[in-house]
Amino acid sequence: MRVISKEDFAEFVNALIKDKSLDVVGVKAKGGKFAFGPLESASELRLDYDVTLLPPKKYFFPQRETLVTYDVATGFAAPKTEGVKPLVIIGVHPYDIVALLHMDEIFKETKSDPYYFEKRNASIIIGINIQNMSKYCFAPQMGCAVIDYGYDLMLTDLGNRYAINIGHAKGEELLNKYAKNVTAALARDIQLVGQKKREILSMSKQKFDFSPELIPELLSKTYEESGFWEKHSEKCLACGSCVLVCPTCYCFDVKDSTDLSLERGERIRTWDGCLLEDFAKIASGENFRPTRPTRYRHRYFKKGKYLYDRFGFISCVGCGRCSSNCLPDIANPVKLFNDMYHETQSLGVIIAPAPEPAVEIQTEGNIDYVPKLATIVKKVPMTANETLFEIKLDDGSELGHKPGQFVEVSVFGIGEAPISVSSSPTKKGTFELCVRKLGNVTTKLHTLKEGDKVGIRGPFGNGFDYEFLKGKDLLFVAGGLGIAPLRSLFNYVLDNREKYGRVILLYGCKEPRELLFSEEMLALAKRDDVEFKPTVNWCPENEVWTGNIGVITTLIPQVSFDPESTYAVICGPPIMYKFVIHDLKGRNLPDDHIILSLERRMKCGVGKCGHCQINQIYVCKDGPVFNYSKIKGVPEAL
Amino acid sequence: MAKPKVAFFDFAGCEGDQLQVANLEEELLTLLGQVEVVAFREVMKEQSDNYDIAFIEGSCTRLQDEERLKQIRKKAKLVVAIGSCATIGGINSLRNDKDLDDVRKTVYGEDARLFDSYAARPIDAVIPVDAYVHGCPITKDEFLSVVKSLLLGKKPDIPTYPVCVECKKNENVCAFERGQYCVGPVTRAGCNSCCVNEGTICWGCRGLVDNPNENSEKEVLIKYGLTVDDAINKFKLYFGWQERKR
Repeated sequence: MRVISKEDFAEFVNALIKDKSLDVVGVKAKGGKFAFGPLESASELRLDYDVTLLPPKKYFFPQRETLVTYDVATGFAAPKTEGVKPLVIIGVHPYDIVALLHMDEIFKETKSDPYYFEKRNASIIIGINIQNMSKYCFAPQMGCAVIDYGYDLMLTDLGNRYAINIGHAKGEELLNKYAKNVTAALARDIQLVGQKKREILSMSKQKFDFSPELIPELLSKTYEESGFWEKHSEKCLACGSCVLVCPTCYCFDVKDSTDLSLERGERIRTWDGCLLEDFAKIASGENFRPTRPTRYRHRYFKKGKYLYDRFGFISCVGCGRCSSNCLPDIANPVKLFNDMYHETQSLGVIIAPAPEPAVEIQTEGNIDYVPKLATIVKKVPMTANETLFEIKLDDGSELGHKPGQFVEVSVFGIGEAPISVSSSPTKKGTFELCVRKLGNVTTKLHTLKEGDKVGIRGPFGNGFDYEFLKGKDLLFVAGGLGIAPLRSLFNYVLDNREKYGRVILLYGCKEPRELLFSEEMLALAKRDDVEFKPTVNWCPENEVWTGNIGVITTLIPQVSFDPESTYAVICGPPIMYKFVIHDLKGRNLPDDHIILSLERRMKCGVGKCGHCQINQIYVCKDGPVFNYSKIKGVPEAL
Repeated sequence: MAKPKVAFFDFAGCEGDQLQVANLEEELLTLLGQVEVVAFREVMKEQSDNYDIAFIEGSCTRLQDEERLKQIRKKAKLVVAIGSCATIGGINSLRNDKDLDDVRKTVYGEDARLFDSYAARPIDAVIPVDAYVHGCPITKDEFLSVVKSLLLGKKPDIPTYPVCVECKKNENVCAFERGQYCVGPVTRAGCNSCCVNEGTICWGCRGLVDNPNENSEKEVLIKYGLTVDDAINKFKLYFGWQERKR
């Protein structure tokens, strides 16, 4: 531990500010509150602050950030940066440091986010032990009020001087280079710091009535608690304030913005929040978390359960910003969890600490947000609203997808949309996307011509385990556009026909004119190694239909299969799954013989932006293909 | 491709939104590379009846205005409502819960009988509207963003969340914490919280979000010290038409 007088500390800060190779920010007063901002002089620093309006994550994960630039003439590119200057952040409270460590884990999981880490790696964190605690702060209870890691330097105010703990060589170098009169701490200083830290631990006015380690288990026991979430969220304004000010919230939206030429522009990432109405809404209008109670619940589960299961930490550091920013005063986690605890106690539910989750965080390279340029080589209209696009990557490479995976398709100036690949990987040179005109991207895509350019990212997701399925009988059940992802597996199986057992395809759509891949279907009907049964919900008088009429489930009694050797592969509109699964189970098909491909709002494709989340699952990364036995207990899935 | 022909029309309103468009200056000239303006009373004399995109400012306050709106709808491929009066009925709707005869007498005095009038309403109460540029007045940035979207064949990106989202991103001190009363928690965002950024409040000029929690917002206003009547008046200023419809 070192010590520096307050005068010398001010000189140190001013020396940092003077060095133009550094960016220096710190806590300053702002309209009666406090905020991190650029420093012009050490005298602006307010290290006695209680809490800042926004946490320092804004420097690494800014409110608005360009991910990609595009030019119709040249394609997509990473934004040009002039390199990142080292950023010194002065006055970070310990809970915000812990939050940054959480963000680090989240942004590096599976694929690392280069935009975040470029800035984060160039940062130097000078922390300060809390002098005044916000009345909503419960960092001591979360174990985040006093820390001995995560910082480069940590200050403690000792009246006329600061004690300095050195956490990292970067901090020590900074002191050596810019500070004068830094001395070794005396025994009394060390003692005083210890005393201050003990005082901090008892500063909080918020109290849990139980041990916070019970939070994950408490949540699990309350998911479907009748009326609990409705009651607590009744006053929710769905304004998103609680999540936008949160130091560990990381969900984002991505939007394209074009300049007035209409030919050049940027793809921008902005903060988003799971409390906001459209967060889980997809282009078809389906909203997977349509009500305030479901979104309110999701926030608590994400912090207290889902991230705990994935990373091993409760993703709340107790800063209290959510509580202080909630006008109807319903976002205070301490209040909510206490209510939850007492409610479970009154019901006689026993809550024991959850077993430590098995955390396995792997990082395999960086996320690439820049799409590859690709050409539409063929465009075949299939129905009034659906078209088959054959696409070739301009760099000549293969997409290299597995059946069931999806790509993110970019249309210049419009944006990006997730589309499942419809062709089998056995088809080389190009791949196919069967696209329905629904949202902005898919509508514009339909106006493009052969030879026009698009952007492609991916493939993403897990895909079907076609190796495992070898030797099995396969029962494909496709509803409407659900045929699109299934066709990639179906065609793969036909191209390797001898390696699979029986192949049955049940395919339903609303009416005959909506039948997709109709020519291929005609050819299928003639094959004797495939059993093909189509159906339509109804047939208008002016159309011709000789097959079955009725919803897709009316086909199930018409086929015989051996539940032991048969695997059902299902994809269709969200409403379809429970009915099909119900009827298949009625035919004794075991749960683990049912394989589903699910649709959600896959925005980033790499398990970061949060939009496609089904409870703890990221559809873009953990799916979109799921074994029913694994997700039947996941309440938001079906 | 021929440049889309653009025309501006005004109904009951202050024409402040068209002024915002005229104030685009340099950007307006760049924009003119993409469109051809055939009618814009505030900046040009010529008028043409041949247009693709109609921008309509102002609310509909007379039965005879309906016919004019229907004519515009017939001729235009796209109808865009600009400004609060056109998008949500605006402050003109304040008069809707007063006696209309009294209102006319107050405004026109003895000549009131010469001036017909009915409840003020937004454009989409009369004809279908394809796109909205909210605000009182509209912001230049959003006007440009909506125009660019329409030219690209994209649905304009109008937030469904409230102003609080932008306030938080802008790191504003909440108006309530400054002792003021704000309807930002139920007002559609998209203005980049411009009023609160300047230290004042959100008055609600962009209208209610699609699913506002009005009761909770009124409770908050009262909790922070407004009387019930004042809280109701806060909502009337811009939300009058929308609240009546709900």
